[in-house]
Amino acid sequence: MSTLKRLLALCLVCLFALPGLAEDYAPTNRDTRYEPVTMDIPEPDFDGFEPLYETASAQYYWREDRDVIAVYDKESGYTWKTGLDTGFPADIKDQVKQAQTDEEKIKAAQPLEAQLNARYIGIANSLLTAEYYEAETIKFISSASREGASSALVKLDQPGRFALDVSFEEIDLQVKVNIAFEDKGISYHIPFDGLKGAGLSRLAALWITPFLGASGGVSQVFDPQAMDYGPAQPKAMTPGYVLVPDGPGALIRFRDNTVTFKEYVGEVYGDDYATATYYYNVLTDAVSLKQPVMPVFGIAHGHEQAAFVAFARQGAEHMSIVARPEENLRIKYTWAHPRFEYNATYYKVYNRYGEGFFSLMSAPLNYDIQMTYRFLSGAEATWAGMARAYRAHLRSEGSLTELEASGDDIPIRLDFILSDIKKGLIGPEQVVVTTARDAGEMLTKLNQDGIRRISSGLIGWQDGAQTLAQPGSLRFYRGTGDEQAFKTLAREQDELGTQVELARDFARVNEKMVRYNGNAVQHLNTWFVNTDYSWRYPKAPVTQYSLARPDVAAKWLQNVAKRAGQNGLGLMVTGLPGLLVSTHRYEGPEVTRLQAKDLLRDAFQTAGQDASLSLDQPNLYLWNSTRRYLQAPVTGSQHVFESDNVPFLQMVLQGSMDVHGPYSNFSFYAREDILRMIDYHTYPSFILSRQPAHLLVSTMSADLYSTEFSQYEQLVKDTYDQVNAALGQLVGWQWQDRTMLQQGVAQNTYARDGQIKHLIINYTHNAVDINGTSVPAQNWTLEERGAHGQ
Amino acid sequence: MKKTLALLLVLLASLQATSAFAVQATSFTYTVDDTMTLVRTQDAYLPDKTISSLGLNSPEDLFFDDSGLLYIADTGNKRVLVYDSLREQVVKELAHPDFRTPRGLYVTEEGQLYVADAGAKAVFRFDGDLALDHTFLKPDTAVFADTNYEPMKVAVDKAGSIYIIGEGVYSGVIQLAPTGEFLGYFTVNRSRPSIQQIIQRALFTREQRANLVDVAPGTFSNVFVDKQGIVYTTSMGLELDGLKKHATNGVNMFVSPAWGEEDMRDVTVNGEGVIFVSSQRGKVTIYSKAGELVFSFGSNVADLDVSGLYGSLPSIAVSPNGDIWTVDGMKGYLQSYKPTVYANTVYEAMTLYEQGRYKDSLELWNQALRLNQMSVLAHNGVGNALFHEGQYEQSMGHFEVAGNRHYYSEAFWEVRNDWLQKTLPLVAIALIALVLLALLIRRLDKKRHIRGLLRGMWARLAAAPFVGNVLFALTTARHPLDGYYDLRVKKRGSLPAATFLYAAFFVTFILYQTSKGFIYQFVRVQDIDVAGLSAGFFVLLGMFIFCNWLVSSINDGDGTLKQIYMIPAYALLPLLFAMLINLALSYGVTYSESFILSLVEGVGILWSLATLFLGLMTVHDYSFKETVKSLLMTVVFIIIAALVALIFIVMVERLYQFLGTIFQEVKRNVYA
Repeated sequence: MSTLKRLLALCLVCLFALPGLAEDYAPTNRDTRYEPVTMDIPEPDFDGFEPLYETASAQYYWREDRDVIAVYDKESGYTWKTGLDTGFPADIKDQVKQAQTDEEKIKAAQPLEAQLNARYIGIANSLLTAEYYEAETIKFISSASREGASSALVKLDQPGRFALDVSFEEIDLQVKVNIAFEDKGISYHIPFDGLKGAGLSRLAALWITPFLGASGGVSQVFDPQAMDYGPAQPKAMTPGYVLVPDGPGALIRFRDNTVTFKEYVGEVYGDDYATATYYYNVLTDAVSLKQPVMPVFGIAHGHEQAAFVAFARQGAEHMSIVARPEENLRIKYTWAHPRFEYNATYYKVYNRYGEGFFSLMSAPLNYDIQMTYRFLSGAEATWAGMARAYRAHLRSEGSLTELEASGDDIPIRLDFILSDIKKGLIGPEQVVVTTARDAGEMLTKLNQDGIRRISSGLIGWQDGAQTLAQPGSLRFYRGTGDEQAFKTLAREQDELGTQVELARDFARVNEKMVRYNGNAVQHLNTWFVNTDYSWRYPKAPVTQYSLARPDVAAKWLQNVAKRAGQNGLGLMVTGLPGLLVSTHRYEGPEVTRLQAKDLLRDAFQTAGQDASLSLDQPNLYLWNSTRRYLQAPVTGSQHVFESDNVPFLQMVLQGSMDVHGPYSNFSFYAREDILRMIDYHTYPSFILSRQPAHLLVSTMSADLYSTEFSQYEQLVKDTYDQVNAALGQLVGWQWQDRTMLQQGVAQNTYARDGQIKHLIINYTHNAVDINGTSVPAQNWTLEERGAHGQ
Repeated sequence: MKKTLALLLVLLASLQATSAFAVQATSFTYTVDDTMTLVRTQDAYLPDKTISSLGLNSPEDLFFDDSGLLYIADTGNKRVLVYDSLREQVVKELAHPDFRTPRGLYVTEEGQLYVADAGAKAVFRFDGDLALDHTFLKPDTAVFADTNYEPMKVAVDKAGSIYIIGEGVYSGVIQLAPTGEFLGYFTVNRSRPSIQQIIQRALFTREQRANLVDVAPGTFSNVFVDKQGIVYTTSMGLELDGLKKHATNGVNMFVSPAWGEEDMRDVTVNGEGVIFVSSQRGKVTIYSKAGELVFSFGSNVADLDVSGLYGSLPSIAVSPNGDIWTVDGMKGYLQSYKPTVYANTVYEAMTLYEQGRYKDSLELWNQALRLNQMSVLAHNGVGNALFHEGQYEQSMGHFEVAGNRHYYSEAFWEVRNDWLQKTLPLVAIALIALVLLALLIRRLDKKRHIRGLLRGMWARLAAAPFVGNVLFALTTARHPLDGYYDLRVKKRGSLPAATFLYAAFFVTFILYQTSKGFIYQFVRVQDIDVAGLSAGFFVLLGMFIFCNWLVSSINDGDGTLKQIYMIPAYALLPLLFAMLINLALSYGVTYSESFILSLVEGVGILWSLATLFLGLMTVHDYSFKETVKSLLMTVVFIIIAALVALIFIVMVERLYQFLGTIFQEVKRNVYA
């Protein structure tokens, strides 16, 4: 090739590359970043520790004076410490002062933890920290406090079993923590009957190993030249992140922040509105925070070097996951821990004007805690490794079961809004936008267009629709179709392979729907829990809602499931699967959150035997009854300090149920969104109607602002075809891993019978070359077959 | 205080509640429907970058220059930062020693930076290299001598005139010449007293009026000059007119007031004339050139650090590539947003439509409509495009959903015109046929007495007491004095007939309120409180009858309670007919012909009032003067009765609450 030709070729390449350079992919906190930063694994330091136990994979040590357990991972050579393992500055300075010679002073002069006061140093070292009430304020005391608390580790008879007896003398509270060392992990068990003392009535919460995996910090190092401590200096920050179950999963990378941030608090299984501070709340224009549906979090250090995943096996009903970014409370560490609540203040109302006072619960919550930490190393030490470990745990305990899957097509979710209620001239008026017959025609049409494996929920089939019908009512609204019409629909669609389901929200109730007494959840202050929807639905006929008691909702669910099953219909359940609430009377709790969980789990299992269940964002305890997971989140709450979103939830669930994403009608239809579905192994969903959506503007379905089938038919087909082209080739394959190859390019690894497939998704606006395979801009490639996306 | 705190906590707690179909944004995006109520729409913008590393302290203003550099008024740190938003780095820092509280920025096309500094009581001008060029201190004109000069915000037009928003200045937007000379107030906000204040002013003595708090006009919060030199202002404390687009004489150019938040803080305008406004409580609102609300998103949550939820939102700027940049005044970080496909579709459709490319815009409007079938903007867009394409009938459906009565009427006129042209011959033929039929009947009547047959049937019907008494209303309407004389003396009319007439009137009234043609049906059926309307109608009527009876007892009126009950029933017939006529006409009359409906309604009301008046005068045997006096006393009695009823209701409610509280207390003490 001549020089001129080469120059021309170079110019051409530059010309094509320029737009790409101008548009570098800039990830947001809704994406996953490419940040493979490794750490230098420090030499293990067990000075002051005594060995406790050893397994094939790990060695466990204990430091009595600081309450710190050290875990040495034999595979990675990394040492995890449950606390910071740092002395109190006053003690260290005393030791330095008492040293006779310079050499002794230098030896005694350990680095001082700057910017942490004695209370926080205690917390940072501690295995257990207690929050307690003093007057109306919350205070903290830790098992490693300088004063006011003591602890003693006792070896039990069984190998690898110990008990830590913690005494918080300052508040007269004793806590027994049973510790079990596993092959490469630790379990903590805190039975309720191990909590003793008068201080129990003041106990707000317990934190377990709050500084395990913390990164950051500022220290003062002793200067041998000056024979004094130098100025405070930031410590070398360990690279890595905290994984929190926010939406699909979010990472909080360790960063040196310059402004203060509030902390992330994930209330596992969502809020218990019956024990919230107030019995009422108001919906505003901000999107609600996404609450964890599973009690899990994790921390990774370095890139594919060391990590742990921590999950609750007991006590998740009262657990929250707290992750504090650097600069939260002006503390220069990023740290995360589980918090188990025992008591809380609430607003006790004494008259109908809402006047009242703050009060504590009359008795602490009675439950056991069991928290397990599994340590991971090498390629397992990533958030994906955490997902695999957690998935394996859930499958082993039966919370998830493997789904038999075959074929070449993915499922699709096509829900229909049939009707809802608006104010009429004389009374409520049921607005019908789709009939059973309409739904059948639309489903058949799509089936004829080549869309297979459809499941479909019908919303608003009852007389009174979702807004006015009692949730357990089995009265079909004739305007949408009588029972026979739905039965016929189910039978006809079943022949086409389509599962039709009746949809119902069993959680949300209003006074026009049911009598609150005996049906609605009562707050700790015995008022009925209330949510005001008027801001969001100003024209709706009903805007004040309460929640159904869990025992009542469970009965309604079973009734409707039974009838649905008799008619060959499945059941789509909204509201209830992601809600766990208690209910109270003057005498005390009538149904506790723990009892509610058991009630609902049993009810869903029974219902699942009668009808196929599709659940809207179900909590973990319902997963083994779930055939389809609906509205799976694809983004987290987007806290500013969250750096990435990752499909942790989807990876845990994959292979156990069909996971459908949010309705594509609503801001989830762009090319990036379709790539996100493929990347997150999430199947498409739509909500449709025969009539235009503007007919629903004065109903509680006003949020469904665009549903008309004629407008969406093509988009349904296009979306299905695009997602099916990629994920259809992976039906029956196990999702094993997800890594970022570069900024905006993700690689998902799937395995089956020893075979491997790599699905590469390119979110960027430029074609990228991966190991000799070109992936077009905003497209995907399945590496084994080399098939390109649409 | 306790209640405020409680409310704040509740609002924060609300974030824990369940949501509906939110995908990637952190706040819902809204637009308005035909009743100016906010309704959900597709996400228009998604949070993009959050820049928290600049160490900003109470930042107050943002401004993008033409090269894409972002100027940040870092007020708390007494500096201005120049930030490269693409490379995410600070390129310059201006910390002039004279800065005290730099709160407002403006960069001209020539690269001159104007900084409004309230603390320094000056506007500083810097050249392109950020060297101080000029300081605009307080003008020394006598007119301006007593005015506070603490510049908060600044903007500059092409001629170099400087527009300043001064702290505590209610007089208006200060306008300075390029030399710094005071030119006057460019525009002012007028105070709008409430109805209560108007009544107070009318009734109070001079001394009492002096004690009233002055009604302050909305205070200007910001000013902006766009590329065309048009001045925009935002004001705080105004629900309507918070955003204004000014002509060169300062007058607001928006035909309809721009609807929005009451706490607007900043305004900026992009090259296409789209207006972006930020409000203190975290709302970003976007308006079309004409001031129509296009999108609104963002929210106020001070206790969380979530992208797109603000502690306060003092400023907004739009980068040359269309990204929105905002700054949180409380949390001190920058937040950018990228427009979604949906927003870009709407903007493109708006631009094409404004350029008169209706056909091109139609496709885009249809795309927007497909994604939000409740969007008034999209329905109007499609409707307008169809209208300009001559597809009137199709456009009417979209105008109806959009609540656009004006254009619906225009389209309807065209459709009706077309229909008339097509059917006029048929109508003429039908009319002629009717006339011929009438003539034929008249001829045949001579031989076969067909009309006599009908008359006989009518006479027999009228002879039935109830029907006759109902039809008596026709007599009272045509000859009120004779009719009501018969009612008093000959005992004509009956209670059942009067009750029937009330029922007929009420049904017609409800139909009139709810079932007119779209052009004249301003209230939706679901927004009408039928129960309240019914209660109001019957309670008022009952009180009128009862109070008039009481008054007549005092004033020697001859009418009995039964007769007083019947008088309004028979008097309402003209209004009943007027409503029925208007009901029918409302389906065939356009907006420009609304005077016909007004005329019919006016005649009906006057006729009924006159009949009522004459009825009372005749039945009570009053003179004109006595009747007026009796009516006035009846009104006074109604007011007194209403007050007594109100007091009674309040007392009962208090008693109920008192008993309820005691019951709760007892219950708690027994169970606790």
